[in-house]
Amino acid sequence: MKQENERDLFPGALEMMVLRTLRRQPLHGYALVQSIKRASDDLLQIEEGSLYPALQRLLKEELVSAEWGVSTTNRRVRIYKLTPKGARHLEREVTSFERMLQGITRVLAPVKS
Amino acid sequence: MNSIARLFKRRRLYEDLSEEIHGHLDEKTNELIDNGMPAEQAALLARREFGNVTVIEERGRETWHWAWLEALLADVHYGVRSLRKNPGFTFVVILTLALGIGANSAIFSLVNAVLLRPLPFAKPDRVVSLSRNNYYPQAGFVEMRTTLRTMDVAAYLEGWGDARVDFNLTGEGEPERLYGAAVSAELFSLLGVLPERGRVFAPGEDQPGKHREVILSYPLWEHKFKADPNVIGRQITLAGTSYEVVGVMPAHFQFPSSKTEVWVPLNLDPRANSYWDGPWVPVIGRLRDGVSIESARAEVELFQRRLLPMFPWKMPADTWKAVSVIPLRQVIVGDVQSKLLILLGAIALVLLIACANVANLLLARATTRQREMAVRATLGAGRWRICRQLLTESILLGIGGSAAGLALAYFAISWLKAILPADDIPRLASVSIDFRVLLFTAAIGVLTGVLFGLVPALELSKVDLSGSLKTGSKNVATSTHWLRTCLAITEIAFAVVLVTAAGLMVKSLWQLVHVDPGFSPESVVSGRITPDQAFCNDFSRCQSFYNTVVDRMRAVPGVRGAALVNALPLNGRVGFIAADFEGYPEEHDQKLSPLLFDSVITPDYLPVMQIPLLEGRAFVDSDTGGQAEPVALITASTARKFWPGQDPVGKHIKPAWEKQWRRIVGVVADVHEDSLSSTLPSWINGAIYEPYSTHAVLIDRHPATEMTLVVRGTTDATSLGVALRGVVRDLDPQVPVTELQTLRNVVSKSLSVSRSIMALFAVFAALAVLLGAVGVYGVISYSVAMRTPEIGVRIALGAKPRDIQRLVLGQGARIATCGVALGVAGALLATRLMTALLYGVTATDPTTFVAVTILLTFIAVIACYVPARRAARLDPLVALRYE
Repeated sequence: MKQENERDLFPGALEMMVLRTLRRQPLHGYALVQSIKRASDDLLQIEEGSLYPALQRLLKEELVSAEWGVSTTNRRVRIYKLTPKGARHLEREVTSFERMLQGITRVLAPVKS
Repeated sequence: MNSIARLFKRRRLYEDLSEEIHGHLDEKTNELIDNGMPAEQAALLARREFGNVTVIEERGRETWHWAWLEALLADVHYGVRSLRKNPGFTFVVILTLALGIGANSAIFSLVNAVLLRPLPFAKPDRVVSLSRNNYYPQAGFVEMRTTLRTMDVAAYLEGWGDARVDFNLTGEGEPERLYGAAVSAELFSLLGVLPERGRVFAPGEDQPGKHREVILSYPLWEHKFKADPNVIGRQITLAGTSYEVVGVMPAHFQFPSSKTEVWVPLNLDPRANSYWDGPWVPVIGRLRDGVSIESARAEVELFQRRLLPMFPWKMPADTWKAVSVIPLRQVIVGDVQSKLLILLGAIALVLLIACANVANLLLARATTRQREMAVRATLGAGRWRICRQLLTESILLGIGGSAAGLALAYFAISWLKAILPADDIPRLASVSIDFRVLLFTAAIGVLTGVLFGLVPALELSKVDLSGSLKTGSKNVATSTHWLRTCLAITEIAFAVVLVTAAGLMVKSLWQLVHVDPGFSPESVVSGRITPDQAFCNDFSRCQSFYNTVVDRMRAVPGVRGAALVNALPLNGRVGFIAADFEGYPEEHDQKLSPLLFDSVITPDYLPVMQIPLLEGRAFVDSDTGGQAEPVALITASTARKFWPGQDPVGKHIKPAWEKQWRRIVGVVADVHEDSLSSTLPSWINGAIYEPYSTHAVLIDRHPATEMTLVVRGTTDATSLGVALRGVVRDLDPQVPVTELQTLRNVVSKSLSVSRSIMALFAVFAALAVLLGAVGVYGVISYSVAMRTPEIGVRIALGAKPRDIQRLVLGQGARIATCGVALGVAGALLATRLMTALLYGVTATDPTTFVAVTILLTFIAVIACYVPARRAARLDPLVALRYE
């Protein structure tokens, strides 16, 4: 059994990636996982299943919406779409994340050089 | 989406989630198969990459929960089911807890009513008493009332003695003696209480000429006046004087005391002697807004210094002790507080023992539930989740115990009210199960649930998956065994503490019962005769009345002697004088005169009470004549104290305010006037006797009016009582006779506090021993069951039943020894707290400790005897096949 604390990079990272991916296009769960994995060049080891609790949280916060539909491979799947609220949330999160990243980079920079 | 709507949509949400997850797995598997992987392997890989489906589904669902609530409901549901499957276990646990919790709730309800419930006054925390140490002359109170800025004050006088606010109520059927209080006009409004009917006293009504008004207590109004709604405005006769009834107080109003039946206004008369010299009054106050108790104290300090020079005569500088301004509650509660807290502490120990017992049972049960827990763990339950489930179960048991305990407490409370002395415990009548008691009971139910459930839960949730699923093996059993032994040792230790405390109380009471009170109470009956004060204004009339009563009582068949005394020993009343001793002390004017307990008696009193005369002569009839030389008797200890090494006979003594000396004619043995543990009240310096004559005046400068008749006779108390009532009624139908009782009864009543505390401790100790014994029995039985194969081998190898028995008993003895040793150490610490409750025995009394050690060891070994016999009788074949 995997430990819970290996699940995320940092709290909320998975949610951010989901929102970011969904901004490009609505996707169902499986496709979403594949897309994230591909995008991260398999650098991020995410447990596939942990996507679902994250999706439930986003649904509850009304950052995404879901609808049953049919996938390209002709399966009945639940397709997630970014809501306007989700888009705004992503914007904020990314900004604050970038600011944080900037800070970290600055602190770490002298060591690197 | 609001939460209610969500509740209904939830099933849909869960189904969607589930379908989605399985779709995901499907899709992945298919993809892997398409890439050429064998189907079985693909399904496995898909699952591995996905993670634990159950946990993930649950976590997904939890998003929609009020998570803790729902998990709790599920746990409760499951817990109830699991407990119902084991009714025997559940019953034993709940019964054990009910005993512990019920006893705690009962004692707590006592603490609640006496200590915690606010006094039934407006803003009771602002009401203070100025009179723990100091009373004030009435003039001093009036001065205080007009000058204090930090608080409003009120004064009162209570009950018996020189206060003269005990009244005869006549003209309303049988004459009755009422317990009264005289209060300053603002007392009721200061306390913020409203009358049930009529009005309270108005300002100025404590002035001379305006004070013939009376307020009735609710019980008196109900019983004597049949709750007559028209009682207001009626004239009633108190002490031969007409008073107008102006009000009736509500039933809960009990101030200054629960005995108070009537309130009259103080008569604050600047022209009367009593203004400075009369009975001093206790004072209460209400702090004005924003005033701290410290600044009030400082003001009273200044006030006292200002008051001293205002006296019409010179007062010593140390007239008052240290100023104390303390919450009134503290004065009312008094020393009951420490007693109650000791009881609460003791009963908490009983509950701890019950908890240890239940924890033991849970641990035993843990072994059999190991497989169940392993299954749950395999299905994805984390350790915390299993712990939570188990704790929910134990808290359910705790709550069950609370409910049953509450029922038990209900009965325990009525028992408590019956055995505890109402006179000594304020507000005892109001002890009941109220909201706070309910809350307390529920809280300790939950708390005990956690307490006894935590260790078993932690133990049981340590699941070793591979091992226990396969065999249901004994690893939990062995790891819990030392825990269970520890718990049994703890139980014994606590039981030792409680039994020691009970033992010390029993020994104290034993000592008290065997204290020689200084008189012989056997076959003596007493009755209190209380004419009005005015009746005795003409002393010869009063004396001839009493003489006739004594003469007629002597003539009653079976009576061997009859005599009178102003204040019966051990009855709470004190007749006293301030006295000067011949040649003592040298410089007198700077000191207050010593106060002496003054027993005013008729000559036969000493023989009737069988108080020995040690020296000189007793009183004779001629000593009571008006023209006779005033004489007195002194007790041996008083003589030693004031005239050490001298012969007191022939020396003189006198009331401090008189010129005429009384000659000491004899010395008598000491009598326990105050209690069996002390001869005299702490504020009294000695004791004398005076013959009932016009010279025998008490602190109020009057001869005693009320007298108590003591009759020694062979007949029973009831018929003597009837005779006395008849004699008095024939002489004067207006004179009430009250408190008819045997002296045995008087002595026994003086022990009621000690006796009731002892009874409580005895019950606690019995509970503790019972629970402790059950605990040891449980551990040993279980250990015998565990060791069955081993014992089988031993028997097969030739061990005799006696050897086996010794083996098992030895294990029990080790538990007992450890428990007793720990318990003795604990008792040495704990019993020190109860020193104040003990008499004639130290808190570390060796006899008690040795007896308790032997007793508890013995009981523990007895508890092991049954399992030991069972072990000894094992059939080795059966035993070896046990696995």
